[in-house]
Amino acid sequence: MADRETAKFSASSSSSAEEEAGGTLSNESSSLFQCCVCLDLLYKPIVLACGHSSCFWCVHKAMHQWRESHCAICRRPYKHFPSICQLLHLLLLKLEPADYKRREMEVLEEEKNAGVYSPQFVDSDVGKLHTVNDNGTSTANIKDRRPEDFEHLENIIKRKVSVDDVMCSLCERMLYQPAVLNCGHVYCQSCLSDLSGEPLQCHVCQSLHPGDFPNVCLNLGHFLEEVFPREYAMRREEVQLKKAQRPTANPSPNSVQAQKATEKIGLRDMYFCLSEDMSDVHVGVGCDSCGVYPIIGKRYKCKDCTEAIGFDLCEACYNTSSKLPGRFNQQHTPDHKFELDDSQLLRNILMRSALQLDISEQGHQLVSVPEDDDPHDYENHDDEGNGYEEK
Amino acid sequence: MSYNSTGGLQPSTSGGGGISGGGSGGGGVGGVGVRGWPSATSVSSSGKRIQKEMLELNTDPLTDCYAGPKGDNLYHWVSTIIGPQGSPYEGGIFFLDIIFPGDYPFKPPKVTFKTRIYHCNVDSAGNLNLEILKDGWSPALTISKVLVAIKSIITNADPYNPLNLNIAELYLTNRAKHDEIAAEWTRRFAK
Repeated sequence: MADRETAKFSASSSSSAEEEAGGTLSNESSSLFQCCVCLDLLYKPIVLACGHSSCFWCVHKAMHQWRESHCAICRRPYKHFPSICQLLHLLLLKLEPADYKRREMEVLEEEKNAGVYSPQFVDSDVGKLHTVNDNGTSTANIKDRRPEDFEHLENIIKRKVSVDDVMCSLCERMLYQPAVLNCGHVYCQSCLSDLSGEPLQCHVCQSLHPGDFPNVCLNLGHFLEEVFPREYAMRREEVQLKKAQRPTANPSPNSVQAQKATEKIGLRDMYFCLSEDMSDVHVGVGCDSCGVYPIIGKRYKCKDCTEAIGFDLCEACYNTSSKLPGRFNQQHTPDHKFELDDSQLLRNILMRSALQLDISEQGHQLVSVPEDDDPHDYENHDDEGNGYEEK
Repeated sequence: MSYNSTGGLQPSTSGGGGISGGGSGGGGVGGVGVRGWPSATSVSSSGKRIQKEMLELNTDPLTDCYAGPKGDNLYHWVSTIIGPQGSPYEGGIFFLDIIFPGDYPFKPPKVTFKTRIYHCNVDSAGNLNLEILKDGWSPALTISKVLVAIKSIITNADPYNPLNLNIAELYLTNRAKHDEIAAEWTRRFAK
């Protein structure tokens, strides 16, 4: 199936740039975007800070419930469940429309069985993740990119992949060494390093990037280099020239904001340092805003969300009153109320299991009592017992 | 997002003893590292992944190695490894049992030797001391990578993490004697 798709793709690719890479692409586009966990085409791809990517559910299911998680490929540790990379999502939809649709149906089937959903973006919903923080904060160049996201699926499929699909929203050029932030937005790595703010902040959605400086997303980088070799080489020269001209980095334009953000991140990291005893860990509970998983410290649970998976925030995100929608398609709105919840706290879980053990042990005793319910025996025992107590 | 609220902890443990559950699929890892949501790793998604590995092994077989389903159960495989050349196990045919958990590949497969082997990293029940089959497991590993690792540990034993102390001691103190016994066992049990 996959082979037929890629063959079709290479056969129909008539634009000059694609023809140059035609031979290699047909073999590699399927393996390039293969998820290392399910060994299938990436579906709703997530890119970790180390630059490796996996499907939404493959990343999530591989995460550790009460400790930091590790990349399946390079084992680099991470603590936050990143958002889906929409650029890669749309790119794959165009590259392998039939295969991507098949994956969508398969995953939806599984999600229906489980009653939990990944973020759904169909038709006009495409780009839903972006929209929330866009009002007001977005700059002109971002608005220019918006309409593309809202196009109908058919139109997207009909169109071939072009340079317009792989643009950096900072330099507005084709991505060179693409790096993906925790929010799923993609930039040239050189553009990100120009930002110099300590915790990186996304220019599209304004959310902070926790964790390490992101590495180049390997499969997207290789794809660009193969499909647009001339453009990629040009961009390489540009970036190198820029570097040579400007040996020292520009001071960040929003250094005050960045500083504030540092404090926030610092606080969050502190939780992890302090939590060596693990008693503050909310097992299997993640923050729907920053994606930290598990939540350590205070957990705010939405009282009004009806989805089984619930909607939770960590303390830092609760205090910034995040307005992001849930990561599992919850219909959370800002007017929902929160309450502190510690039902999944490790120490409470341990206490509950200890209690349960206690009960089951008592149960055994109850079973053993009727064995000697001969009245005389019972009396004897009673006497003996009393005797011991007196001594 | 309380991920596990739909599977994992609550249904399997009915409100208590959360981290000992493990849900439907492949619990049994003693309460540690239980992921929420085991129901989503349904038979179909783990089965699909196992099928893909099977196809890959058929089109691109390993050298001196075979692995495939035992009967019509996709989750129970058998494997044979030919004793590596130049080792005391040379010429032996070793059978292994591979059991995939229901939430494969998020949990490692269980691999045991069915043929007796004189090796310090394999105990008398055939259990295998291999880091990647325990905490070192990653969902990106496949059964063919595991078999390559097993082949490698057969040739290069790790006497500092032994399952059988006596064999490990002999391996370190009198390698010639160790190899002699290993070759003898290979002749007796693996041919």
